[in-house]
Amino acid sequence: MRQAIVRGDPSTYPDWFDGKRRQRPLIVSRWVPIAMVGLPVAVLLAIVIYPTVWMFYHSLRDTNITGLFTGNHAYIGFANYATVLGSERFQDSLIHLLQYLSFGAVLQVILGTVLALILYEVVRSNLWRTVILILVVLPMMLPPSIVGVLWRFLLTPSNGAVNQALLDLGLISAHIEWFNAGISLWSIIIADVWNWTALPFLIVYSGRVSLPPAVYEAARVDGAGQWKVVRRITLPMLKEVIAIAFILRFTDAFKFVDLVYVMTSGGPAQSSELPTYIAFQRGIREFAIGEAAAYAIIIFAISAVIVTLFLQYMKRVMRAQGLA
Amino acid sequence: MSNVILSKVNKIYGAGRTGVHAVRDLDLTVNDGEFMALLGPSGCGKTSTLRMIVGLEAITSGDIHFGGVRVNDLEPRERNVAMAFETYALYPNFTVEENLAFPLEVRGVPADERRRRARELAELLRITEILTARPPVLSGGQQQRVSLGRALIREPAVFILDEVMSHLDAHLKFQMLFDLKRLHQELRRTMIYVTHDQVEALALADRVAVMSNAALQQVGDRNALYNRPTNMFVADFIGEPPTTFIAVERCDRAGAIELRAIGADIVFDVAAERASALDAHGGRRFTVGIRPQNLYPCDHDPRMAGKVVINEYLGERSILSIVTGDVTLRALVPPETRLAPGDHAGFSLDPRDVMIFDTESGVLVA
Repeated sequence: MRQAIVRGDPSTYPDWFDGKRRQRPLIVSRWVPIAMVGLPVAVLLAIVIYPTVWMFYHSLRDTNITGLFTGNHAYIGFANYATVLGSERFQDSLIHLLQYLSFGAVLQVILGTVLALILYEVVRSNLWRTVILILVVLPMMLPPSIVGVLWRFLLTPSNGAVNQALLDLGLISAHIEWFNAGISLWSIIIADVWNWTALPFLIVYSGRVSLPPAVYEAARVDGAGQWKVVRRITLPMLKEVIAIAFILRFTDAFKFVDLVYVMTSGGPAQSSELPTYIAFQRGIREFAIGEAAAYAIIIFAISAVIVTLFLQYMKRVMRAQGLA
Repeated sequence: MSNVILSKVNKIYGAGRTGVHAVRDLDLTVNDGEFMALLGPSGCGKTSTLRMIVGLEAITSGDIHFGGVRVNDLEPRERNVAMAFETYALYPNFTVEENLAFPLEVRGVPADERRRRARELAELLRITEILTARPPVLSGGQQQRVSLGRALIREPAVFILDEVMSHLDAHLKFQMLFDLKRLHQELRRTMIYVTHDQVEALALADRVAVMSNAALQQVGDRNALYNRPTNMFVADFIGEPPTTFIAVERCDRAGAIELRAIGADIVFDVAAERASALDAHGGRRFTVGIRPQNLYPCDHDPRMAGKVVINEYLGERSILSIVTGDVTLRALVPPETRLAPGDHAGFSLDPRDVMIFDTESGVLVA
């Protein structure tokens, strides 16, 4: 056993340290720190780093399922990337993704923010707040696959509840074919908004709750109306919180497979496919491992760029407020 | 400009038996242009009172009038009050200039005019160099000035300050006291200042309203509070170090009245003009209050004498604690008094400085 060595100026020792050399060293073996750091590193290597490197390696090779098991695959440069970027299917799916981001994710954040602020500013009784909070959050508790099944039933054109309700209200005169080309993506977006609006709602609501009440009293004394307060004070103060909600929904959009799979399987005619769904199809269903890996790397690159931009923005906002 | 009149104002938080009676039957008049301080220990109801005046808290019963207008049901903005908060409550996402100008912005004052007024005020408060900064990077003193400026910018009828100096260090506080006093002298606005610090209250205010246990104890200028406190609470609360209280018994001797301390050999003479008040009261036992600064060291024929137990040296003065019999007295003496624990010390006092209270109710008798 080695003796722990006490160095430095005794006046800088923390209160709990008596300044004496320990008879039993605090660290029993040099392997303890190595094991403590090494274990998480090993796990990270095994489940994140290794697969990523593995994927990048195969994205440069013509690997298919037999090739994967026989080791029979060859280096083909960036051919897989060329295939992916050049395919109309991928380009369409990017447009779908854009559509999904700008209507689905954005709508979720806007709706969530509006609901959260209304709940906080308008509903005064604590009981009602809790009841509404639970009701709004309920859909988020369901697994997306269940949500998908649920909405497939609700949106069934001939006897689904949604069409029936719209007919009864006189808003439409004929059934909407929710799962036809051009509409099926919107059906997925509707289900996703229903499923996930609660997340930005919760984030913004908790952000609003933690804003200092004195600032609002000051605004009341200064004579600002409620709308003015929301626009000039609440929303700017919640900027970072809302940005975080955006980041969460954006990153989720890139791994968005379950609802697509359950509701439309990307159809009809690939009209509701998102990039991740194609990667899943190509890799898991059609065993084009190399091409699927290229898909994954491209998606990763796009999301990395977007998140980096977001983080840059956050940093600027926080620096402007003197927080960082 | 207007005066503020509170009549029979009550504030009860909650209801039924769990309700907290925070302010009880408060009657208070703040004159036009007066600087009034609301002084009291934590939890005495002073901040509740102030929040009712501003309009942030509903009034349970009673009336508040601003310049003759009943304001009970008016929103803060309709009352034309401005308030500086204990926590400053600056808008963190605004620059200092935007913060200052926000009350004007909500009133639709054009941007040029807002800018001009904000700059004027910044000059008055000496914060021109931080106009473009945002509150989180400012020091406490700077934030405090900005918060004052935001309250001042729209020339309110009543100007309210809530414990605005409780987070400042002693040096900055001294500076701000000076600035506030100067501001009040320049602007001559009605100001209500809430504090638990008697030094701030006495230094700033024309009159001080002392509160305790949800009720108003006394309103008056510093002389009244100091020399004629209405009860033992005010006598104890106002003045540093605090008043010494001694239980006494009345003895009549040869036409003159004496008050003898119970458990110590001290005799207080009662001047003839106060004797009638004691007669009117009729009791035999009283509590006498003596301010430490009213005891003078004296070697010849002292009125009271005892043994020094502590000599606290405070720079420009010393506080002596003296034990005689069962009584511990405090005396404020010049710092050059070289008395060590165990030494014998004698004191004289002016009979007019003795405050005589009813022991039961604590009310001043004479």
